[in-house]
Amino acid sequence: MELPGIAFYIVAFLTMGGIYAILCLALNMQWGFGGLFNAGIAGFYAVGAYTAAILTSAGSSAHLGGFDLPIVVGLICAGIASGIVGWAIARICVRLKADYLAMASIGIAEIIRLAIVNEEWLTNGSLGISRIPRPLEAFYSGRAAEVVFVVFVWLIVAVTFLVARRLQQSPWGRVMRAIRDNEETAASIGKDVQRFRTETFVVGSVFMGVAGALSAHYFKFFSPDATEPLLITFLAWVMLIAGGSGNNLGAIAGALAIWAIWSLTEVVTQQLPPDWATRSSYIRMLLIGLLLQFVLQRFRSGLFPEKSPKLRISREK
Amino acid sequence: MKKSILAAAVAALIAASTGAALADDVKVGALMGITGPLANFIPPILNAAKLAEADVNAGGGILGGQNFVLVVADGQAAAQPSVDAASKLVNLENVAAIMGALSSGATIASANAVSIPNNVLQVSPTATSPAVTDIKDNDYLYRIVPSDNYQGQVLANIVLDEGLNKVAVAYVNNDYGVGIANTFKASFEEKGGTVTAFEKHEDKKNSYRGELATLASSGADALVVIAYAGGSGAKIVKQSLENGFFDRFIGTDGLRDDLLIEQVGPEALATSFFSSPTSPGENPAADALHKRFDETYGEGSDKPFVDQTYDATMLIALAIEKAGSTDREAIKAALREVANAPGEVVGPGEWEKAVKLIAAGKDINYEGAAGSHEFDDNGDVAGFIGKFIVDGDSYKQIAVFE
Repeated sequence: MELPGIAFYIVAFLTMGGIYAILCLALNMQWGFGGLFNAGIAGFYAVGAYTAAILTSAGSSAHLGGFDLPIVVGLICAGIASGIVGWAIARICVRLKADYLAMASIGIAEIIRLAIVNEEWLTNGSLGISRIPRPLEAFYSGRAAEVVFVVFVWLIVAVTFLVARRLQQSPWGRVMRAIRDNEETAASIGKDVQRFRTETFVVGSVFMGVAGALSAHYFKFFSPDATEPLLITFLAWVMLIAGGSGNNLGAIAGALAIWAIWSLTEVVTQQLPPDWATRSSYIRMLLIGLLLQFVLQRFRSGLFPEKSPKLRISREK
Repeated sequence: MKKSILAAAVAALIAASTGAALADDVKVGALMGITGPLANFIPPILNAAKLAEADVNAGGGILGGQNFVLVVADGQAAAQPSVDAASKLVNLENVAAIMGALSSGATIASANAVSIPNNVLQVSPTATSPAVTDIKDNDYLYRIVPSDNYQGQVLANIVLDEGLNKVAVAYVNNDYGVGIANTFKASFEEKGGTVTAFEKHEDKKNSYRGELATLASSGADALVVIAYAGGSGAKIVKQSLENGFFDRFIGTDGLRDDLLIEQVGPEALATSFFSSPTSPGENPAADALHKRFDETYGEGSDKPFVDQTYDATMLIALAIEKAGSTDREAIKAALREVANAPGEVVGPGEWEKAVKLIAAGKDINYEGAAGSHEFDDNGDVAGFIGKFIVDGDSYKQIAVFE
């Protein structure tokens, strides 16, 4: 193993880890702040990924596309499209209690997936969209491009983090926590519970869409098999719970820690005898399960438990 | 107690990260979807790769007697874990090249995100999606199965040759089914045939009677089924027979599975025929390989993609030998030289001969168990499509199309 190799493994690790961090921060807005159980993360991720793919990819006769728009425009539109879908769903479902919302959102994610697989004119169906660009591709290639992309991803992680922190510290964030902890009390002091919930659901959806868009740019290709709920919805949930729901830093830490478990367990199981190649992959899955159990048992409220931001009460009056 | 477990885990990680390969190993990554949706296909495929590895080592090793080592990584047949696994192969294991991945989505994502930027040769034994052709890969991505587009065109010819002009098509809604079905339809209609009904279906349902009733009412002479036997294909054939919708079927390689014969019996399939990527007509090298495969692993030489996986591994090994080092650029440049004509022909199991020829400075041309593997500019191969009929409780190849 050589030093540059390890460095570039870390670059690739941080790229995927960063995308998951955005997903996790977005889920934190919905669940951590608002207590909204969204089990359809993969759906919003897919909407964002396909929006960005269609808007920024080179032309193709097989599906809608070829707009060749700049990547930043694609990212913003991915967020908007995912936000609009989130808004429509929130209008219908947000009144539902936590577990019912979970069921409804699983269903909706599945509807989105089936729409993507079947509407070939739009998404090229199961064949996927290829030739999706990456930022600054004309100027950097090879390993330099990997570094450029990881910086790009983490810039967006930083933006997402700042937005999330601002939201949490604002009066809006306090109302959200109040609604989460006791809906009736919040309503009794005149807060419009449905409106606040809809808002938090939409904001979270926007950033889920952005995470999807980033992975489309990373793979430079996007097909329905990249929206596997196990790898998106389930993993994002584990990351948030392990990191500490309600805590933005925890969301990022959880994303990196769980992705590290997911990725590094293979380094361990690869040391088993080569004859065990098939078995060691399953041992790895077992190991992942055990480590997740360990983290979730050991850190019940996450690596970084939620801390309510201090109130700054003005004493001037 | 907990601490000691943690300490042991950390120690294992450290040992793993420092226990790098011995200096005399030439490592090649095998990016396989071991635990994903393709798990059923994996054991024989992995054995084929191992057989190639053993052949190289038994034939005197690679690059002057070094050990040829396959490092197997699990990409779970999905984009995200495949990218992660490929990154570990390239950056941590420092492999000279990658054999894989299996599904097209995983192959394209791992090539775009890892192999191409890191200048690593990647050869997929199984990625059949037409999208693989168009990737801007700087010549780093190859595959040794024909694109689905190709099988669709050949299948159209085979069906017309049978004298069938009116067929209905049932295809599974994934990259495999859609890819073949669309090219089949276009090619079939262009050549004067009529597709009376064209219905896609979702995998793994219990009943396809609704879809089949629609297909049957269209007045077709036979049903073209483009699906995996284990997913929906066998059920479609069975339910068609039970309800009298169709009695003649045309299948692709996904349907050409022993499972189909087990479920409906050979008599019911007497007039049906199948297409599948295959080896050239007479290929004693492939027969010898299959015999050795079954002797070593007990069974499985007739399973899908065994030949392709062996060939992909062998081609990578030959390219490394030809390059004379594990320099990744040189390996890429050498692949076409060892795979394409002209040159002295070498086949499966002839590693020693190939090494001697390369050492003597001769040009070689690997003709594999799955075809002659002449790469075009896109890194695609034309390949051969065989026509199969049911013979007893297995399949018999009766013609080969190029």
